[in-house]
Amino acid sequence: MSARELIANDPTWLSLVKAVLVFALLLVITILLIWFERRVLGRMQQRPGPNRVGPFGLLQTVADALKLAFKEDIRPKLADNWVYFLAPAISAGAAFLAFSVIPLGGQVNLFGYQTSLQLADMPVSLLVVLACSSVGVYGIVLGGWSSGSPYPLLGALRSAAQVISYEIAMGLSFVAVILFAGSLSTGDIVDAQGQGGVWYAFLLPVSFVIYVISMVGETNRAPFDLAEAESELIGGYHTEYSSIKFAMFFLGEYVNMVTVSAVATTLFLGGWHAPFWLGGVGGGVLNTGWWPLLWFLLKVVFMLFIFVWLRGALPRMRYDQFMKLGWKVLVPVNLVWIVAVVAVRTMRNTGVGTAQLLTIIGIVVVVVLAIVLLLPNRPAASDVEEVPVTGGDHPLPPLDLEVPKVPKRKPVAAAPAPELSAEEEGVPDGRA
Amino acid sequence: MTTPASLPDIDYAGVAPVLIILGAACIGVLLEAFVPRSQRWAVQVVLSLLAIVVAAIALGAYLYTGPQNTSTFAGSIALDRPALFLWGTLLALGLGSILLIADRVVEPGGAFVAQAGIRPGTMLDKEQANRSSMQTEVFPLALFSLAGMMIFCSANDLLSMFVALEVLSLPLYLMCGLARRRRLLSQEAAVKYFLLGAFASAFFLYGVALLYGYANSVKLADIANAAGGTNRSDALLFLGMGLLLIGLLFKGSVGPFHTWTPDVYQGAPTPMTAFMGACTKVAAFGAILRVLMVAFGSTHWEWQTIMWVVAGISMLLGAILGITQTDVKRMIAYSSVAHAGFLLVGVLALDGSGIRATLFYLISYGFTTIAAFGVVSLVRDGTGESTSLSSWAGLGKRSPLLAGIFTFLLLALAGIPLTSGFVSKFVVFAAGMSAGITPLVVLGLIASTIAAFFYLRVIVLMYFSEPAADGPTVTLPGMYTTAAITLGTLVTLLLGVYPSFMLDWAGTGGFVV
Amino acid sequence: MTVSVYEEIAFWILGPLSLAGALGMLFSRSAVHSALWLVLTMLSLGVLYMVQDAPFLGIVQIIVYTGAIMMLFLFVLMLAGRESSDSVVEVLRGQRIWASLLGIGLAGLVVAGVARSLGDVTPAGLDNPAANGSGGPGNVANIGQSLFTRYLFPFELTSALLITAAIGAMVLAYTRKQAKGGKNRQREMVNMRFRENTRPGALPGPGVFATADSVATPALLPDGSIAKESLSRIIETTPVTQIEEDEALADRHPDAHALTGAARDGDDGASIVASPASEERSE
Repeated sequence: MSARELIANDPTWLSLVKAVLVFALLLVITILLIWFERRVLGRMQQRPGPNRVGPFGLLQTVADALKLAFKEDIRPKLADNWVYFLAPAISAGAAFLAFSVIPLGGQVNLFGYQTSLQLADMPVSLLVVLACSSVGVYGIVLGGWSSGSPYPLLGALRSAAQVISYEIAMGLSFVAVILFAGSLSTGDIVDAQGQGGVWYAFLLPVSFVIYVISMVGETNRAPFDLAEAESELIGGYHTEYSSIKFAMFFLGEYVNMVTVSAVATTLFLGGWHAPFWLGGVGGGVLNTGWWPLLWFLLKVVFMLFIFVWLRGALPRMRYDQFMKLGWKVLVPVNLVWIVAVVAVRTMRNTGVGTAQLLTIIGIVVVVVLAIVLLLPNRPAASDVEEVPVTGGDHPLPPLDLEVPKVPKRKPVAAAPAPELSAEEEGVPDGRA
Repeated sequence: MTTPASLPDIDYAGVAPVLIILGAACIGVLLEAFVPRSQRWAVQVVLSLLAIVVAAIALGAYLYTGPQNTSTFAGSIALDRPALFLWGTLLALGLGSILLIADRVVEPGGAFVAQAGIRPGTMLDKEQANRSSMQTEVFPLALFSLAGMMIFCSANDLLSMFVALEVLSLPLYLMCGLARRRRLLSQEAAVKYFLLGAFASAFFLYGVALLYGYANSVKLADIANAAGGTNRSDALLFLGMGLLLIGLLFKGSVGPFHTWTPDVYQGAPTPMTAFMGACTKVAAFGAILRVLMVAFGSTHWEWQTIMWVVAGISMLLGAILGITQTDVKRMIAYSSVAHAGFLLVGVLALDGSGIRATLFYLISYGFTTIAAFGVVSLVRDGTGESTSLSSWAGLGKRSPLLAGIFTFLLLALAGIPLTSGFVSKFVVFAAGMSAGITPLVVLGLIASTIAAFFYLRVIVLMYFSEPAADGPTVTLPGMYTTAAITLGTLVTLLLGVYPSFMLDWAGTGGFVV
Repeated sequence: MTVSVYEEIAFWILGPLSLAGALGMLFSRSAVHSALWLVLTMLSLGVLYMVQDAPFLGIVQIIVYTGAIMMLFLFVLMLAGRESSDSVVEVLRGQRIWASLLGIGLAGLVVAGVARSLGDVTPAGLDNPAANGSGGPGNVANIGQSLFTRYLFPFELTSALLITAAIGAMVLAYTRKQAKGGKNRQREMVNMRFRENTRPGALPGPGVFATADSVATPALLPDGSIAKESLSRIIETTPVTQIEEDEALADRHPDAHALTGAARDGDDGASIVASPASEERSE
């Protein structure tokens, strides 16, 4: 029985139990993820990271979350009350919702019922993921707008443009997977990568790479965290938020990370199937019962590690470069790739043999290479009329630069010491 | 598992004219990206004219094989005689319009703005008004629009018709706002046209939805079958039809749905006005004819009275409001509303002679309109075209040839013998008489008389008034405008003197079901 | 064809919600709120479609309308600014009343007609095998089948529409200023800044060394005087012009430490202008 049929037989109470379990799982993962991220970042930056609260600092996030909940809830005077309140809820809600279609495992016995470890599966599950991410943007955009302050608005505008652009690349990278799996249902896609099937990450490497790039853009994470770039926009869309509302945004972002990682696992890394040769151990026993949950979580953690790795390794991109990457590289490459995939599949379907196929591909590659070689080189820009540069290619400041006169110091009455805003310290680990 | 989809049968020879125009439009878009700016105009003009000529040759070749009345693309596109005739008409009128669009002599750089992105009234804008370049995207856009029109009048299901409606409208909305002079007026016209057009499209779509609910199909033939064969409540059918027709009549600027016409005709760049006035009318009436006859022909007893009223209102509104106009372009706009009423008389005859009369009317009216707007674009003063009627006073003394041509065209619009206008009015009214809608024909005659008054007033103004000292000058037209005006005038004369061959062509067949 | 209890519950929740959204859109004052109400309507409709066995349609409704179209609406509305609301002046006299009456009349007519003709129709239902085409059960495959067979031509024609729309956007929005050589790039800007010999470094940020870190508070220079260039001229609420006026008036710097973020609260701008007491102190 396919996952969809199993789930369709669930009684209502079982669905509710599953919903609660998924919710709890996401909360626990989020709490651990924040700790994980700080520890890994710490290791990358030659420092220990949080290690005081609980064993290995594991409870640090719990402590931060509790503290955050008890902070003063500040509402700017110009804020639009209802929308200001609604935005964090949308952000977190949409993030949770998307996870409901992710298959966490195969067939298990849950409270005496044979069911699948998945909350819901529809014929169009994959589109649900896209729909949730497109609704989730509302949280960010409305949060930025309703704060009634310029920096959040700028962050919101950036974020809207960014998420819409990268959703296109993301949706296109699904297309090749859908073509191979022949279904939009997440359960079917995982099944298609199961026994004897190849993980789509190996079969469709271009789609996988584009998906990984666009998922980072989609979740506003470094190096694409331009919507909250603190060096330009303070905190972006959530500048004015504090206390539990801020926590909701925070939660939404991390749950989103988990969700897109889970989608990557489902679509490209074989879902809950045991990795590599392990699937064959003991006649496939590692693909039954509760084992798949372990493989699934391991793969998700691997994807999350990539997120953290990127954050630790790469500087933030400039906004226009980022949009250019999306529209001028990811989308066109994706389109060409889809056309190629469709062509190859059509040829396979019409009975073209492997040798012939490889010959055709070879010819196409040669033709493309020839065209590329024949294209005239772009003339290099001349250096005349440029400012003199130093050895390190930096522009040289003019040697006759006038230094402004230092004004005379005047005695000034002592000013009251600036109060340190409590908010600055409260954010767990900042968004550095 | 699913069965693989197999493509429907496609009669490539039959749809070749449409595919050629669409393909040329796509190539035009690519040329915009790759051809250097200085060469674009020439390349685009050649491509557009070539595409139309090749499409016409393809159409001729298809007709030469003596095709049957068929439909292709799983019944989406009808390849029947009226559709092919209308395609020919549209290609010919499109050729004339492209010639007007391409002219760069009358207005240095062409009637279209050099860069639409520059805000009107700024320094940059003043600078670009004198630059001799234009936004060459106009050519592919016009081709897209033309292809949309061709599909619109041959669409055999409402879904294709809707998409075609949008394909023909969207470029028009856009191009209306691209005038080089009086840009604010032009942009206002574009916005008005866009908003009202979107509204009319919504009506059309709502009508399609209701008709689908009624007939369980969007094919015109299925709707006719459903209407004939059941004893269900007809409320859905007539609600759907009403909403659908609002959308269609809006495009044809008929009767009470005409309010956009004068403003848009006035604000749009004149070549665009010619294109809209001639081609959109052809497409819209082609579609109205097909919808009324194929889908709703079986129930015409129930709705024809309302359509008679619409036709009557259109004629009278156009004729009476036309008298009060002081601007040439607005005057022709109202005259087009009146003509839409006359055309409806031919449509409402709902028989073979009605089709013949309407098709003939469309082609003759289209050519006259293109030539008339070509002339309008020549009368200019320092700020661009001088369309105010008072500035046309005494034109007969200053430029007798131009005034003569314009007089002839106005007489054609009024329906004086020896012009195509007379013949077309005659066949339309004759078809109406034989179909038994005599009151409407009488009303049509009265409206023609009223309308003749304002045409004659312009003629009187041109010949029997003294020219103002600082009046407008008549620009010497370039090759393209001359060709367009000559083409329009000659066809108007030819169809007035020797109409029988065209009437024969127009009357060779009915609609495919 | 029976209606399940769940379907009925869903209808009675989503129906009123979508209606409320539509009415809210009509009657709310702020354009952004209107757009949000419309989002509610679209979401409710999307879910209703899903309840009625058309999951593809429902999800696409949410992705396309809510996710893309309304998001673009919001984008534009946010750029246009939050104060911009509709002018309430009637251009045509009595237009509102007539438009409402005729609109309600048309709605009544359509509803009555539809109700009358659909009253005794049995719906086929999308889970019914007869309603499904050759693509087998479920409406994803069937939509695909229809698009590439029966409606192939309109489907392909849509591409012409999309090309037109894309060109239209480019024609209306693109000026050669954005092209190469039209506008200064980052590198050219840097070069220019170094050539012009004035201030190669960055401007001071607002609030530095001042009593508040708001954008409305100018930074202080080492001697305690005000760095006017730290205030942005394009943010309306910053008192940059006011400081200049005050300076001209008093012929000296206002007291820097009297400046706070709440600069514009009082109409008289008292917090910007040096108060008499602090003036004395600074002398």
